[in-house]
Amino acid sequence: MVDITLKVGGAAGQGVQTVSEALSLILARHGYYVFSIEDYQSRIRGGHTFTLVRVAEQWVSGGKRALDILVCLNEGTYQLHHGEVKEGGVILGKTGNETPGRGVHLLPLDFEGVALRLGNRVFANMVATGAVLAILGVGLEKAREYVRETFARKGPEVVARNEEALEEGARLVEASGMIFSSPFLTEHRDPSEISRRYLISGNEALGLGALLAGCTFYSAYPMTPSTGILNFLAARAEAYGLIVEQAEDEIAAINMAIGASYAGARAMTGTSGGGFCLMCEGLGLAAMTETPIVVIDAQRPGPSTGLPTRTAQGDLLFVLHASHDEFPRFVFAPRDPQEALNTVIRAFNLAEKYQVPAIILSDQYLADTRWSYDRLSCEERPIRPLFSWDGTSPYRRYALTPDGISPRLFPGGEALVVADSDEHDERGHLTEDLALRKVMQEKRMRKLEFMRKEMRFPFVLEGKDATLIGWGSTWGVLLEVRKTLEQKGKSIGVVHFSDLYPLPEGLKDLLKRSPNPVVVEQNFSGQLAMLLERETLLPFPRRICRYDGLPFLVEELAEQVEEVL
Amino acid sequence: MATPFDAQDVEIAWCPGCGNFGILQALKETLDELGYRPQDVVVVSGIGQAAKAPHYLRVNVFNGLHGRSIPVAFAIKTVRPELLVIAESGDGCMYGEGGNHLLHAIRRNPDITVLVHNNQVYGLTKGQASPTSGEGFRSKAQPWGNLSRPLNPLSLAISQGAGLVARAFAGDREGLKGILKEALSFRGFALVDILQPCVTFNPVNTYAWYRERVYYLGKDHNPEDQVAAFQKSLEWGDRIPLGVFYRNPQPTYEMKVEERAKRRRNLFEEEEFQRILQEEFAQLL
Repeated sequence: MVDITLKVGGAAGQGVQTVSEALSLILARHGYYVFSIEDYQSRIRGGHTFTLVRVAEQWVSGGKRALDILVCLNEGTYQLHHGEVKEGGVILGKTGNETPGRGVHLLPLDFEGVALRLGNRVFANMVATGAVLAILGVGLEKAREYVRETFARKGPEVVARNEEALEEGARLVEASGMIFSSPFLTEHRDPSEISRRYLISGNEALGLGALLAGCTFYSAYPMTPSTGILNFLAARAEAYGLIVEQAEDEIAAINMAIGASYAGARAMTGTSGGGFCLMCEGLGLAAMTETPIVVIDAQRPGPSTGLPTRTAQGDLLFVLHASHDEFPRFVFAPRDPQEALNTVIRAFNLAEKYQVPAIILSDQYLADTRWSYDRLSCEERPIRPLFSWDGTSPYRRYALTPDGISPRLFPGGEALVVADSDEHDERGHLTEDLALRKVMQEKRMRKLEFMRKEMRFPFVLEGKDATLIGWGSTWGVLLEVRKTLEQKGKSIGVVHFSDLYPLPEGLKDLLKRSPNPVVVEQNFSGQLAMLLERETLLPFPRRICRYDGLPFLVEELAEQVEEVL
Repeated sequence: MATPFDAQDVEIAWCPGCGNFGILQALKETLDELGYRPQDVVVVSGIGQAAKAPHYLRVNVFNGLHGRSIPVAFAIKTVRPELLVIAESGDGCMYGEGGNHLLHAIRRNPDITVLVHNNQVYGLTKGQASPTSGEGFRSKAQPWGNLSRPLNPLSLAISQGAGLVARAFAGDREGLKGILKEALSFRGFALVDILQPCVTFNPVNTYAWYRERVYYLGKDHNPEDQVAAFQKSLEWGDRIPLGVFYRNPQPTYEMKVEERAKRRRNLFEEEEFQRILQEEFAQLL
């Protein structure tokens, strides 16, 4: 069964992403499942960046540590990563001459030299791609097709040079005369008979979800790792009649989204934790004015600027409580791009229905990781704006109702719409009537119990020996760890949360039934564990917390789980 | 004079004699005289005494956060260009807490009118210096006297090429109405700095103090001339000019957006939804 892991490393700006993306797309077209994780630094040029690409015959949902192939676009990659290559693996590119031993093949290749002979340094990316494909034992037909599509807009000359670059790369590998212990990928596949795989990253899925939700206004301040959503939506603004505005700061971004929503748009903003800090005041404004908005927080390690390009799940308790005093809100953390697509539509719909802010927690790992699927689906459909005013009685924006949801209207119709950040009366005008204040706070908070009924139960796989509990982007790796430990004869369950707040009813029974719970999170304290303890009064003392900015990889997490059991 | 913009059944929380009353009345009359109906108008405000103004008007209201009225107003106008959108608040709100938003709204040039009740003091928090308070202004928070120089909002807006930049005086209702009319009729970003005496906390800049100093820009002033407008904006002290200092018509933000993002998708129709879905999915293969 094919399951190989390759790593492409180099300096920022050297083409690491180009090579890994080309390999991912080409190999997906050969019918393999691919899973690629990006690791980059907060800089434009230089430094060290790499992409981990896993290629397999079976669907995969996590990255592995042990490498079959290491592609070194610079020497630093070799120095940093050669120890991760397993027996029989290959290191190619700027490898230096030291042999790492352990049966690792060393294949020093001058990608750049070849590229310069072809006329430009940029062709080095396709030289490297061609070389890797040759090592894998994959023909170049699909690669040529990819090159033709990707470089078509740059003209036939560029396409031709890149095709040559691919061939040169493959030829170098053949000319080395090196015999690899086995061709990595089985050649029996006829590419024409293989159905293509869908490749999608978290940011693409969140952006696409917003489009499908009927989002008509997106305002944001660029902040890694959420910027991909801004770029994705801006590229489609024209085709969808979407207003995309780069705000002067996150404060403006969320206030714009609220203003747009008040005026009748379906509005969203996106940021990372630091930007979310600036949005807290606005979040409260959305709550007090009961204006629906969707906010995406693509988490990264903090506090403060922290690690801009790395991953974390440190904002769960923060977004749960963000902004002063209390108000109802939704918090979701989609588990993968497929779910993210649907989550955004749900978030828009539920924000609309309950007139509350809906927060989606993503993270750098989900944002930048590209998953592959046989098929993609979108079960959710956007709902139309819900206007419940009967048109006869005097319009009251904040009319008291049994479920706390008041009739919403947009300005510009016959009725005047008055919204206020101050405590207000049913008409929306500010008040200091303290008895009324109590009534209005109860009205807003009343929604929470109805909102709870909308929330979905966690994803559950049963296991006898232990139960891994997680949330958001760790779902895929938890599945992989379960599989890995199963091979060692252990029966591991998974309880994974995508709907985080309000937590659905009936959780306590589920969690009581789950043997040996181990909560797995990318933060220091175990924030989900704390939330579950608070909500269910059950103890969750066993926690595996990773907070170095890197995602969990399968082998490492499996070892950690074995240790705590 | 009664107008369709008179609010019913509200208790006004301003001090007797406050300059805000004159501004409120002038605005109601101007909206009426320009032929607007209450439902066509959205007044967005921040926090402070001036920011309560929209509650005392019969219009659509968005009374948001301190300093944040401009991004809200910008978004409302962008989404609903057919509405008349006004952002109204005080000097602390617009020039202090919201200063950054003002700068960037000038760059975007949405067709909104920003009305700043400028009384050179924080009223609602009881008398601290505002961004426009004079150097040496004393308060409980500035016992040494204000150590900073006042912001000149007109110079700032003119230097950045704002759509329309004007100054008015709350004590002259007819003059104020004339300026409001020009600002509200202007297609683009308009800033009207309204000098407003604070009868409780600003013993310096009183009605009498202003009446001795203010004068209207004459026919000799060319508002299309940015440098002349800038020069005029520096005049403050014995003589304080009022009127439209600067006018710079240019395409508005919402006009640019309308041109580019015209297409509408009906995602509520299953057929259209499926078509878009398949089209987008195909790009991910």
